[in-house]
Amino acid sequence: MNLIRKVQWSPYLAGALMGMVSWFAVLTAGKYLGVSTTFVQTVGMIESLFTPERVASLPYFVKEKPIIDWQWMEVLGVLIGAFIASRLSGDFKGTFLPSMWEQRFGPSRVKRWGVAFLGGVVLMLGARMADG
Amino acid sequence: MLSKLHGQKGWQLVIGFCLGIVFGFLLQKGGVTRYDVILGQLLLTDFTVVKVMLSAVVVSKIGVHFLKDLGVARLHPKPGSWGATAIGGLIFGVGFAVLGYCPGTLVGAIGQGSLDALFGGLVGLLIGAGLYSELYPRLEQTILHRGDFGEFTLPQMLKVNPWWVIFTLAVGLVVLLVLLETAGL
Repeated sequence: MNLIRKVQWSPYLAGALMGMVSWFAVLTAGKYLGVSTTFVQTVGMIESLFTPERVASLPYFVKEKPIIDWQWMEVLGVLIGAFIASRLSGDFKGTFLPSMWEQRFGPSRVKRWGVAFLGGVVLMLGARMADG
Repeated sequence: MLSKLHGQKGWQLVIGFCLGIVFGFLLQKGGVTRYDVILGQLLLTDFTVVKVMLSAVVVSKIGVHFLKDLGVARLHPKPGSWGATAIGGLIFGVGFAVLGYCPGTLVGAIGQGSLDALFGGLVGLLIGAGLYSELYPRLEQTILHRGDFGEFTLPQMLKVNPWWVIFTLAVGLVVLLVLLETAGL
């Protein structure tokens, strides 16, 4: 079967290739693959639309400049890469709820999205504290 | 020669975008953009996440250290502290288990059409980042520097050639993966 159209690859193959992506990132950009700083930059850019002076004065946005840089483009690429991968295998589908969640907590979308929202807030606070 | 490329802003954006596409493609094919797979790992019923991550760590580590020895790559060890790294890590873990995606896999999940990642998770991550930017000055003066341990790597701490650590870790992680397979996980 055509590998490109397969829904799920061997985790060892996918993982090993991800490791090789990191070689190219350090070699061509001097960067390590990261994601969470991009959320800081994005929220900084959104806030800049309304209160640019305030954003410019906040120490955290001085440290993590709200600009589109290498990592921001990498994260955008992740979005598109996952879209391509899921389209090629026919795995792409708008799903409101993960099936494991629905089995355990029922069909309410608002409940899942609210919990995902809260989890996201907590996750990001911890991620930024630990700087990762 | 490649260090010249590092300073070229336009090319850097293109490179970041292209590597991101490959990375996102692999995350999706590896199965780790799925909520059920991530929760399965936390519940210890599905070891896909561990298999993907450890394979990536072993391959990345060997290659990056090789490039470093060739003088074309640098390591970026991050400084840490008990307050920032340990407490932050625990808070991250709670949020991660509740959300069911990490930031990278969440972006991939949006790409494959998971709407809970888009409407719930993405908004939460952005609000969390905004909230942190407000709290940062106060945290910086208090908890973030509690128990500073600075910047160090395992080879520095053990005072050995880095390749001993790389070799030991690589063998250890591969053995762990073989054991997982043998156990049928």
